[in-house]
Amino acid sequence: MTALIELKDLTKLYKQGGGTIRAVDGVNLSVQKGDFLVIIGPSGSGKSTLLQLLGCLDKPTSGEIKIDDKEVNKLNDGKLAELRQNKLGFIFQSFNLIPTLTARQNVEAAIAKRGKGDKNKALEVLEKVGLAQRANHLPSLLSGGEQQRVATARALINDPEIILADEPTGNLDSRTGKEILDILKGLNREKKQTVIIVTHSDYAREFANKVVEMKDGKLQTNVSQTP
Amino acid sequence: MFYLAYLKAELIRRIGKTLIIAAGLAIASAIIITIISTSQGLSDSQEQVLNPLENVGTDILVSRSVDTQKMGELDEVTRTELASENRVTTDLSKLGKAGESFSLDTFMPGTMLTFASSETKKLTSDLVKEYASGLILNVTHQEGKIPEITAEFQTGGERFQVPDVAPLTDAERAAVDAARQKAIADLQAKGIDPQSEEGRRAVREAEQAATPERFKGAASSFTTPNRTYRQTLETPQTDIKTESYTIAGVDTSKTDIGLILPSQITEGTYFKASGQAVINISYAQKNNLKVGDKITINGKELPIVGIVDPKLYTNTADIYVSLADLQTMAGKADRINIILIKATDTKAVDTTSKKISSLFAGAKVINSKDTASKVTGSLMDAASLMNKFIGLVSIIIILAAFIIVSLITVFSVNKRTQEIGTLKAIGWKNSTIVGQIFLENLVIGVFGAILGVGLGTGAILLLNHFNITFSANVASSNIAQGFPGFMRRFGESSSASSGTTANLKLTVGYDYLILLIGAAVAIVGSVVAGLIASFRASKMKPQEALRQL
Repeated sequence: MTALIELKDLTKLYKQGGGTIRAVDGVNLSVQKGDFLVIIGPSGSGKSTLLQLLGCLDKPTSGEIKIDDKEVNKLNDGKLAELRQNKLGFIFQSFNLIPTLTARQNVEAAIAKRGKGDKNKALEVLEKVGLAQRANHLPSLLSGGEQQRVATARALINDPEIILADEPTGNLDSRTGKEILDILKGLNREKKQTVIIVTHSDYAREFANKVVEMKDGKLQTNVSQTP
Repeated sequence: MFYLAYLKAELIRRIGKTLIIAAGLAIASAIIITIISTSQGLSDSQEQVLNPLENVGTDILVSRSVDTQKMGELDEVTRTELASENRVTTDLSKLGKAGESFSLDTFMPGTMLTFASSETKKLTSDLVKEYASGLILNVTHQEGKIPEITAEFQTGGERFQVPDVAPLTDAERAAVDAARQKAIADLQAKGIDPQSEEGRRAVREAEQAATPERFKGAASSFTTPNRTYRQTLETPQTDIKTESYTIAGVDTSKTDIGLILPSQITEGTYFKASGQAVINISYAQKNNLKVGDKITINGKELPIVGIVDPKLYTNTADIYVSLADLQTMAGKADRINIILIKATDTKAVDTTSKKISSLFAGAKVINSKDTASKVTGSLMDAASLMNKFIGLVSIIIILAAFIIVSLITVFSVNKRTQEIGTLKAIGWKNSTIVGQIFLENLVIGVFGAILGVGLGTGAILLLNHFNITFSANVASSNIAQGFPGFMRRFGESSSASSGTTANLKLTVGYDYLILLIGAAVAIVGSVVAGLIASFRASKMKPQEALRQL
């Protein structure tokens, strides 16, 4: 069985000051469809950079990323945008909702091009994350947890194969954080959607079927896997 | 449609930003509209002043005007002609009897000598396109009571008796007295009044009888010859009022060239028949005259049919009548003193001027260029200032507007880099993001443009409301100047001016093109600034955009 995501010798260098930072340093990793992967590492370990490379938001200095057996680093900006819209869903630590749009419109923004039925689709997804009654509120009127649920709904509306989350619970209290993770775990279980979370805390470990640790841009060899 | 919903949300929920950018654009747009319009208004006025001849469809003027400053250089013939044309002999005693009212208008060509109207035959159609002749005269109007000019004394006719014998002695005088007393007493005794005819005769006879013999028949007498003394009074005591004005005879057969044109009539109509007058707007205001009033020239009443605004033009007059009427009134049949000429081609003005100069020996030929160079005044200063700075000021303002709007736009788009990064992360293409921001800025730009056009229009209204006026002086080269001698006799000096001063009100017009330019500045400014900013933002890698938290 081919891996959904295949990383080969992936390296990302940043120039900073006089020196070079090896943010991601020769990472090899394969992710199977339906995995719930948690990448744990302290801040500065390069885990966020890795997630951005996975999400095609950044291009690697060297190495390759294959998604569905396609080398994504050879795609142009337009194709990458399509890929992100069709296959990927993002959840950010600080929610990144568009402040002028209501909860429903924020969700709708992710499928803006698809035409009719968007409103209903957005409401459906908001229902799924338990926020249908707040659909017409602006983000500023929502609590942190509610905002992250809107962001989650936005990530889910296009039925992505892969959900990428960068510290999704970082700005939330533990109870709300657990709610978000529960939603993701449910999707992972029901729809076989692949979830990849990067975090600095061990908290998400219990949801994962696969945990890797990262330090100084390198994955630690001890990969724990729950079948 | 999601994009429109997003647009609406963005503009309304960030209303402060929307308004600030729109206001910035509006102000820039309004300033540009106002400046360009004002400059246009100034140059329109300037055009009017710089080319006063154009206003009467004329390129070239031909006259025999004499420069009063160089009177001494004139040849004898011209000097004699000048003197005879301006000689006025008014015998007040012939106007009527002393004490009667009179009104007299005297016409003089001043320094613009007349010439025969047949001279215009020299202007053939291959030389000029069109011409009109005119007669401009100074009028001295006098009215009042005819003064007592002479005092007449008649002397003579009296008879004098001269005695040539020895005077009465005292005894003889006493005898005469006694005879008189006796006669009176006798008369009284007879009951006759000595003062009555009969009484006095009796008394005289008694006196005669008593007078010594040597007095009888010796008296000689003579009668003084009749003589009339007539004395001319030095300064007649009178209430005569003298005023002067200018009158012009208009060639009414021409309607697009002439001293005044039908198009310059501001009220009433142009001449429709002979015996009508059209008056200059400034003269009408000064003398409180209006259409329908009558003016009297040498006892002839002329109805005022129109008010004319000849604008700034070197040969204006206070009153206009038809050329034929003026020639009759002034006793100058077939005489004119100015020809207005339209050249066959505007480019040919110079060469035509030269040809005409050679055709009319001794005539003064001036063309529009000559008059333009004689214009001075605040309008010229303002216009030249505007001309010097208009380009620079406009560029500075447009630049400043672009910089301010760009800064605000770039700043506001920069604040949205996270938003742009997020949109990219959820699959928006660069073109979609740029398009969305373009749309926003287009709408803000249009809003700013509407506001700017409104503001600019308001500013123009305000400028017009303040009635800003500029003066322009046309130095007189050929205006009919009065000969002051006659009037000085009555202790009044000539009011002939040294030039024409026009006060031009600054009229700033609304030009759709200018309003469009102003609107375009706002829209283009906003869109360009928005595109630059959004392009820059969209080119950022999404993770960089996301990192700017």
